[in-house]
Amino acid sequence: MRQYFHQIKTIVWKDLVTELKTRELFSSMFIFALLVIVIFIFSVDLSIVKANEVGPGILWVAFLFAGTLGLNRSFMLEKENGCLDGLILTPADRTAIYFGKLISNLIFLLIMEAFILPLFMIFFNVDLLSHLGPLLVVILMGTLGFCSIGTLLSSLSSNLKTREIMLPILLYPLIVPVVIAVVRMTGRLLTGEPLAAMMNWVGLTLAFDVIFIGVSIMAIDHILEE
Amino acid sequence: MNDTSDANHPVIRVKDVRKVFGVVQALSGISFELNKGDFLTIFGPNGAGKTTLIKILAGLTRPTGGVATVSGYDVAEGDPGLRRELGVIAHASCLYANLCALENLVFYANMYGLENPREKAVQAIEEVGLRERMHDSIRTFSRGMQQRISIARAVIHDPSILFLDEPFTGLDPHGSNVLKEHLHSLHTHERTILMTTHDLPCGLEMSDKIAVQVRGRFALFENIDKLDKHRFEEQYFQIINDSD
Repeated sequence: MRQYFHQIKTIVWKDLVTELKTRELFSSMFIFALLVIVIFIFSVDLSIVKANEVGPGILWVAFLFAGTLGLNRSFMLEKENGCLDGLILTPADRTAIYFGKLISNLIFLLIMEAFILPLFMIFFNVDLLSHLGPLLVVILMGTLGFCSIGTLLSSLSSNLKTREIMLPILLYPLIVPVVIAVVRMTGRLLTGEPLAAMMNWVGLTLAFDVIFIGVSIMAIDHILEE
Repeated sequence: MNDTSDANHPVIRVKDVRKVFGVVQALSGISFELNKGDFLTIFGPNGAGKTTLIKILAGLTRPTGGVATVSGYDVAEGDPGLRRELGVIAHASCLYANLCALENLVFYANMYGLENPREKAVQAIEEVGLRERMHDSIRTFSRGMQQRISIARAVIHDPSILFLDEPFTGLDPHGSNVLKEHLHSLHTHERTILMTTHDLPCGLEMSDKIAVQVRGRFALFENIDKLDKHRFEEQYFQIINDSD
């Protein structure tokens, strides 16, 4: 078990070191998310529409579209130079490879989201600070669900020639329940409702997080095998 | 399960292994055995299934039929114990281009669960003669240097079995010579090596056994001392032409 966690930690370390050297994933995700926010700020008339009503959807569109870029790139780095084969040839359990990549993707997405949130707050003139704690919980649950199934599907699509198209096609339909839940929760948090009043949505999101991780554990072996 | 190998217990045992990809029959029934310390070179044209055979023996893909055991492990079961015994060198280096040589080898040393991973990584880099480049990004390495670090990666955990899939691809004559020297040093009585290559003289020079694989099966499997090396090239092309 100790060796299992050590392998997960090693994969995360490798991804973090690579990202620190290249900043490839973060910069592409951040720029894309920022672009989405900027485009929407110019297309939405905030004198007519309340920021609290449209803001959550815009925020999650930015997160998910930018996150898709990051997920695509994540396994592409493993395919370069046959590194994924090198990884599979080690004694590491394939679920350790999955969890290592999941944690790396989660860290990169959460960092991108941490940079985007203040900008969203400024552009849309929305007070996030008074709801920050519950908002971060919702963002964490949603991002975990997105990353858990996204990591599995990016490993699948990385073998395909049309990988850039296939990942969103496979991922977005599956992530709909989580997206609906987190957008609803974000909207209601911004209107001042406590998280405790949304336990149905919290339960739904956590249930899908668990389901996605469970399915990924069962499927990763078959997906990584040629 | 891991049997102790001797002449009665081959390290690699392949019995009627087949592999189908969709409608393509990559392997049509390959059978052979290798004992500890054997060095087998498999020659064959492109598309003969040499890489597929290595991928099956390395556990990267499962056979469609037949049975293959390596060091007592059934390759289809994906036992991590098998992967601890194996080192694989392919034409892809399996090195992360944005990491330096040392970081790559520390990564693999950690994944193999080695103690003192950094020391082992430095030692492995020194053994392939690239100590002065250990902090340089792999992206800046020539093809020959990448292959040498790839060798270091493949043997850092001291595997008893090595698979080499066309390791000389893309190397200039100097790079090939350097790689040959390393392979000579790796070939010991304790280590079994299986190599695929298009380089006939190199394969004949290094091997105890040779095979010619054509259309997914062995057209020839022979001990090197029973072969007329001077006529082998002619024999090889005759086999290829007959299969066409």
